[in-house]
Amino acid sequence: MSAPRPGGYRAAAREVLRDRPEVRTSVLAATHTFDEHRRASWEEIDADAWRDWMRDVKSHVLTHLDVYLETAEARLEANGVRVHWAETAGDALAALGAVAEAHGVRRAVKAKSMLSEELGVNAFLEERGVLVRETDLGEYIIQLLGEPPSHIVGPAIHRSVDDCRHLFGEKLGTAPGASPEDLAAAARAALREDFLSADLGISGANFLVAETGTVALIENEGNIRLSTSMPRVHVALVGIEKLIPRLEDLSAFLQLTARAATGQAIGTYVSLIQGPRRQGEPDGPEEVHVILVDNGRTRLLADERAWEALRCVRCGACLNTCPVYRQTGGHPYGWAYSGPIGAVLAPGLLGLEEAMPLPFASSLCGACAEVCPVRIPLPELLVYWRERAVEAGLVPAAERFGMKAYAAVATKPRVFGAAAALLRHVPWELGGRALPVLGSWTAQRTAPPAAPRTFRSIWREGIE
Amino acid sequence: MRPCSACCPKYRAPDVRVALFATCLGDAFFADACADTVRLLRRLGVDVEFPEGQTCCGQPAFNAGHASAARRMARHTLEVFAGADWVVLPSGSCAGMLRAVFPELLAGEDHERALDLAERTFELAQFLVQVMGVDRLGAGLAGTRVAYHHGCHALRELGVHDEPLALLRGAGAEVVAWEADRECCGFGGLFSVKLPEVSCAMADRKLDTLPEVDLVTSADGGCLMQLSGRAGRRRGRVPAFRHLASVLWEATSA
Amino acid sequence: MSAPGRTSGGDAPMSGQRARILARTSAALGGRERVPHPGDFTGPRPPDARGSDRLRSFEEALVAAGGEVVRFASVEEARRWLADFAAAFETISVGATVPASLRPSRPAAMPRAAGLGVSIARAAVAETGSLVLDARDGRRTQLLPPTHLVWIRAFDVHATLRDALLDLWGDLPSAVGFHSGPSKSADIGQILVRGVHGPGRLIAGLIVEDDGPRAAPSTP
Repeated sequence: MSAPRPGGYRAAAREVLRDRPEVRTSVLAATHTFDEHRRASWEEIDADAWRDWMRDVKSHVLTHLDVYLETAEARLEANGVRVHWAETAGDALAALGAVAEAHGVRRAVKAKSMLSEELGVNAFLEERGVLVRETDLGEYIIQLLGEPPSHIVGPAIHRSVDDCRHLFGEKLGTAPGASPEDLAAAARAALREDFLSADLGISGANFLVAETGTVALIENEGNIRLSTSMPRVHVALVGIEKLIPRLEDLSAFLQLTARAATGQAIGTYVSLIQGPRRQGEPDGPEEVHVILVDNGRTRLLADERAWEALRCVRCGACLNTCPVYRQTGGHPYGWAYSGPIGAVLAPGLLGLEEAMPLPFASSLCGACAEVCPVRIPLPELLVYWRERAVEAGLVPAAERFGMKAYAAVATKPRVFGAAAALLRHVPWELGGRALPVLGSWTAQRTAPPAAPRTFRSIWREGIE
Repeated sequence: MRPCSACCPKYRAPDVRVALFATCLGDAFFADACADTVRLLRRLGVDVEFPEGQTCCGQPAFNAGHASAARRMARHTLEVFAGADWVVLPSGSCAGMLRAVFPELLAGEDHERALDLAERTFELAQFLVQVMGVDRLGAGLAGTRVAYHHGCHALRELGVHDEPLALLRGAGAEVVAWEADRECCGFGGLFSVKLPEVSCAMADRKLDTLPEVDLVTSADGGCLMQLSGRAGRRRGRVPAFRHLASVLWEATSA
Repeated sequence: MSAPGRTSGGDAPMSGQRARILARTSAALGGRERVPHPGDFTGPRPPDARGSDRLRSFEEALVAAGGEVVRFASVEEARRWLADFAAAFETISVGATVPASLRPSRPAAMPRAAGLGVSIARAAVAETGSLVLDARDGRRTQLLPPTHLVWIRAFDVHATLRDALLDLWGDLPSAVGFHSGPSKSADIGQILVRGVHGPGRLIAGLIVEDDGPRAAPSTP
């Protein structure tokens, strides 16, 4: 993925809404389905207790993260895994590149990993002459399209069946009227070759269990099991926040993450990876590497409020319920993580200025907080980042002065009342030129009819 | 912060004195709805006062990250309503600001005062049902097909959901099922003008799924402005958009 | 097999990174209140998990996810069924730890070419409808053939996922796979398709014979 561009959010959102309305249609439908399934599946378990527990386990790990990182490293090494530490994206890519070079890698298969998007793995390897094949069907589709993912769990939800028909017809030679099953079969056949011939498998990690050094991965297709089993070398990219303490803790995390993401009781395939193939095992990779990635996570951890965002298990539930995300899908957010969690992680991982205006890309409706399985206080964190943005001078001066003036007037009731009375005379329909903020309203909405009198004056006259 | 009816004294005439907080939007754009709020409360035997020092609760500032501006307005509001027995607002989002946010926003002595104010503060439908125990306002809505928009703050900050529906149905209205009734309308205060295209797409989502009704109503003026404003630019049949306070007042007309 | 080793040891840039990341992590936590581990999870389970008939729960969950379950009262019965079932496949691939009694006599092929893969599960989980597959049995057979038959003994079916994880603890191979249904994807226009990329058909051969200790993965 190219350099993050959250700054283009408004323009990109406007463009997709205006020029590609089918994206909104697809995204609204897909997210509605995910959210409905989540809701139904949470009712089966009465999710509150699960969410409280998972929040506490994650907060526990994060507030003891240094200890858990060392424990995990020791365990991984005892299992025969090579552990690398990467402070920045560049360091992570360098470590990955060194492994690829050491093994003369020409072809790699990749499981879906948001961290790999964040780091820009594909472009990096391709520049070095490595053919990288995305194996998750949704990621495969967008790779063929040359697009970034639109959603954490369903990268291609913004695309329709017809889009896939055209794409596969062009790239894989499928028939014009191909059924979804035919299209899937074509993808399976094409990717089968890659699984069998790849030198390197790259994955992320849903969780890293410190106690056993287990990399845990959830999926429905089987491409992760294949990518981490077939090639001779497996590299797992693991954000340092992915740790959980004990193997048995995985039970609740695996189940609630699946229920939150798609409503399933569990993902179709769960891989628990301890290390390379052992004596007596018929198959498996000869070498397993784990790259522990910081890339801004320690900076976010240091933030007294926003560190809670690091509890995220990447289920996508907040995206599925966010009325703002649902209008456009993920592309306008301009980087790997979109929706509410993207808006809250961005200032921490990218820096506040780089992340603008994402903390403002929300109406603060609160739907996200109701569905987060680890109870990240997303709306509060959005307001927090907005406060930081105001303090840092990142909001227009006109707005800051306007607010100050408004607050001053609001402590003077007579002035306030008079101003309210004057509002009747504001030429809303001429808005654009007079005051840009009014133009923003009237471009697509009729102006609110000003009451003939303010309530203050009605009160003074007496109410019948 | 939702009080149970058991611990809030039910209404007994003529001891209930309510201070009305009209809100900044109410004062400028929904004056009639505020007047109907007064009429409605008086019809129920409530003594209504209007502390004239009131201005704005500070929510637009707070939500946009202007914490010190918001604090100024919060402190002012605390002063204005310090002596009130009950504070009632024809606005879910402003009631939410007083109940859920003021205590978080203010520290020290003001924090205590904010907690105290929060306990006495209610959105209108919430007040009628939870505090006064009202269930039937009359039959003035008989035969009216209504779609109810649940404003986000009323719904999620105050936990108000059943109260307005009960009052509408109790007055004979048919509240028609609306797939997107609990989705955000896209107002969000300054959000509506900072990211207007997405804001309008959100309003479109609401309007695209709206069933055939005579009337759309809500406890929040901002939401009504947003939905009626967007509806005014779209083709097709446009229902009436009226504030819940006015609709409930009409309920008492028969 | 590669020897364990810290890549960063003795390699200045890497060890520097490790030290700096750990230092920054500790510094980030500073005086922040440490949150204790909340202990074992005892939250509400889905109704079935507490049911006395965990075999029925297992079957229902796996079937709901698109899998199939065939029950056998004995290994003998399973063998007879197997001869019939496997006849439809030209070639098969069988896991390394599948007992002789449960190996079909059909021509063998590499997992990449076989039409049927036969594995034995180390365990299963009733509440999630999962089969627990051990790397020692062979991963390719579990993943490549389009139809996957997995033997599971009733004795080895745990009620909960937590039980299964506790049971794995202390005897973890290089990889364990929890398979809870046939491979599926809804990435093509939100329409469900199967068999991309794992097996599109998953059958659990549940042997309900109750005697005998749990078979260790290495027992032929």
